[in-house]
Amino acid sequence: MDYAPAEHRPAGARPGAELLPVKILIAGGFGVGKTTLVHALSEIPPLSTEQDMTSLSVGIDDAEAVPDKRTTTVAMDFGRITVDQNMILYLFGTPGQSRFWFMWDELARGAVGAVVLVDLRRVDDCFAAIDYFENRGVPFVVGVNGFPHADEFDDETVRDALVLKPGCPLVRLDARDPGSSLRALIVLVERSLQHGR
Amino acid sequence: MSVDEHSTPRGANGGRVVPNYAVTRGRTRSDGRELPVEALVTATEHGLAQLSALTPEYRTIVEACTSPQSLVELGNLLGVPVGVARVLVSDLANAEHLAVHLPLVGPDGRPRRELLERLLDGLRAR
Repeated sequence: MDYAPAEHRPAGARPGAELLPVKILIAGGFGVGKTTLVHALSEIPPLSTEQDMTSLSVGIDDAEAVPDKRTTTVAMDFGRITVDQNMILYLFGTPGQSRFWFMWDELARGAVGAVVLVDLRRVDDCFAAIDYFENRGVPFVVGVNGFPHADEFDDETVRDALVLKPGCPLVRLDARDPGSSLRALIVLVERSLQHGR
Repeated sequence: MSVDEHSTPRGANGGRVVPNYAVTRGRTRSDGRELPVEALVTATEHGLAQLSALTPEYRTIVEACTSPQSLVELGNLLGVPVGVARVLVSDLANAEHLAVHLPLVGPDGRPRRELLERLLDGLRAR
């Protein structure tokens, strides 16, 4: 896919000055620190946008269980990091609820990969995200957010609990801390460079 | 696209009172290719020269795009869902008021290796 057709170039644009957007997804369960991490790293104030999506949903609460088409609006947090003169990295905090997986398809397309945040007190919440990225072949790293008691479990125990495949990076971070959050992104990009090549 | 001058009614709290379908004249899909949410948009000289002829939503977008903005940022700026911003940006790109910069992905649908290396260098330098 070669894009940026000539007629859409900015007037007076210099060759080689093409802008390069890239994106990383921040996933995990509700309240695990996705928004906190995005805000710790973003150079713009906290922003949220709404995403419309139409889904074929089966009304499991309805006696009739009639499939119907619904439009749902989901709020999505995002942040921005200017990497260099032409490259801008967007971080997207993906909606935590697994029933919004269909939205991840659009977000995951073309993504560098994902950081799946985990709260060790509620590991079940991250399985939907891990399964999703594994199944779609999207590179990801697991980031154990430094909630209380996170230090009581060593990496091996955590990997076992999450059923992580060998080679899937596991990093410890504090989502409030830009330094450790940035390190998680770096490990992800390294992982993405190795992935399937 | 419409170039009529009109004002957009605002609610008491400054929020939008015109429904989204009115802004896009009923369209929910952009007529061009689907732009990813991180697609970057910049104003063209042509777009900036035509500012005074644009309707408020279009003008707001073109003005904001004097520096690069993504679709999600424009959605946030206008207070509309990304899908609505996508329709408006497509209109403006078709009229050559805006230039769209798409992500460089390889045949496997993933970012090209040179992009990942450049990203890694940039992040390590922070």
